[in-house]
Amino acid sequence: MKPLTGKSGTNILIGIILALAIAAAVIALVTTDRTAKKGSRLGPEFGYDLTEQKKIDPALILYREAAPVIKTALQKPTALAVGPHDRIYVAGDREICVFDSQAKPLPKIKLTSEPRCLAVAHDGTIYLGIQDHIEVYNDQGKKLAAWESLGDKAVLTAVAVGKNDVFVTDAGNRVVVRYDKSGRLLSFIGKKDPDRNIPGFNVPSPYFDLAIAPDGLLRVVNPGNLMIEAYTFDGDREFWWGKPSTNSIDGFSGCCNPVNFALLPNDEGFVTAEKGLTRIKIYDPAGKFVGVVAGPETFAEHDRILSGKGQGNLEGGLDVAVDSQNRVLVLDPLTDEIRIFTRKTKNL
Amino acid sequence: MAQEQIDSKEISRRDLLQGGLRNLCLLGVGGAAGLLIGRSRAQATVWQIDPYTCISCGNCASYCVMEESAVKCVHAFAMCGYCDLCTGFLEPEPDAINKGAENELCPTGAIKREFVEDPYYQYTIDEKLCNGCGKCVKGCNAFGNGSLFLQVRHDRCLNCNQCSIAAACPSQSFRRVPADQPYIIKEAYHAG
Ligand code: SF4
Ligand code: SF4
Ligand code: SF4
Repeated sequence: MKPLTGKSGTNILIGIILALAIAAAVIALVTTDRTAKKGSRLGPEFGYDLTEQKKIDPALILYREAAPVIKTALQKPTALAVGPHDRIYVAGDREICVFDSQAKPLPKIKLTSEPRCLAVAHDGTIYLGIQDHIEVYNDQGKKLAAWESLGDKAVLTAVAVGKNDVFVTDAGNRVVVRYDKSGRLLSFIGKKDPDRNIPGFNVPSPYFDLAIAPDGLLRVVNPGNLMIEAYTFDGDREFWWGKPSTNSIDGFSGCCNPVNFALLPNDEGFVTAEKGLTRIKIYDPAGKFVGVVAGPETFAEHDRILSGKGQGNLEGGLDVAVDSQNRVLVLDPLTDEIRIFTRKTKNL
Repeated sequence: MAQEQIDSKEISRRDLLQGGLRNLCLLGVGGAAGLLIGRSRAQATVWQIDPYTCISCGNCASYCVMEESAVKCVHAFAMCGYCDLCTGFLEPEPDAINKGAENELCPTGAIKREFVEDPYYQYTIDEKLCNGCGKCVKGCNAFGNGSLFLQVRHDRCLNCNQCSIAAACPSQSFRRVPADQPYIIKEAYHAG
């Protein structure tokens, strides 16, 4: 037999190497459990499953999606508000997108920094929370003022505007800050004070919302305590409601919820947004659970995007607002959608 | 065995807590760079898990060639909310918030809860008890900040040529990383 030499020998060698490489690749492909279908062989005690908690009794769903979704085209929408004439405002990137009540885009407002939260006064003045300070814009989008910074630790997460006051939640310092409309800092509300029966705000993640209710009291989420608390403008804690429960729909789920809330017109109660079990619910003015606007099934795409980020729930929490027609608007920052829900009539 | 201080006790949890959300929201994990503890190894690369793509499937607990998996849960304290109702530590519906085994999520009791200051708690992993099952990672991701995650621990890993967990990983989260930067520590604002 002739020894393998020269070109033909090299070719055969390359052939063998190629064949081995292909075989190895095939074996790797076959043995890789790309779907995890083979399972981990761990016992049931190692499973974690929220399928049951995500289910919602259809009889509890009181709303339906009633309008096409609005896309803002923002890379990173952060906050939603409804202003005069039911105009819709969405802050994000370095701008505020404005839509009329029929979703027609109006001129955008350009910003110099990234906004985190906003509120719109009856006269159209916009109070915008940047990382550590408030900026004020008129209804034409002209910047009127930039208030003083609340310091390095400040993380502003919500703004509420009253007749004479502006209230801001600072998640970094875990307080509510009261200003007059000229930007003069008047007081801090909600600092831990056992003498006044104030437990302090427990804020484990960057969600910390507030609003001014028709009874003239502030409502502030105490997220880590899974409660909404009522404070006077002078900082007295009057009452509170909310209970932790992941299994029962009338409670707030997980470690810290609700992430955001809005007030229904005519003192009809609260619309709350939760993370973890991504859902929007209604409570009456006393905090009694009334029903559901939309549950995790409605926000499946949100949940899919969130789990793909591997970031827990650090970003993407739903924001809510309500217009004068009682429509519930939900900003989904992950899908860049404003979804609009109306209460079902009895026939639906 | 001396453990690498990946869940670094050198960093004051109180400091992180006080730096708090500002760190988390703005700066990412400032201290994380300090946690990337290098170990000189003959090999240029080692196996590691990308914590952003890992789906905590459970295979890390059962596919390692070692009797006790080289994969363990680790904790990025700078991302943690120090929650009282930690969903990585407690069953979704605890009867009461306490350290009782009946309420703990971890089947092996590997997570330790410690009071820091009202109302905050810190959670540390007892690696001797952790089997890398990822159940706590799921709980933390489901509701919380995602600060618990899995890593191959290089004081245990044999650095097999073909990691048998990698072959069984449904999300292709195992990859080779430089041996002098053997950990992928989660950060609050991860690009990508
Ligand atoms: S739940 Fe699993 S991964 Fe988490 S600490 Fe316990 S054993 Fe380790
Ligand atoms: S390389 Fe080997 S020892 Fe290390 S995690 Fe993979 S299977 Fe286990
Ligand atoms: S096998 Fe892959 S997906 Fe499963 S827990 Fe390990 S790294 Fe995560």
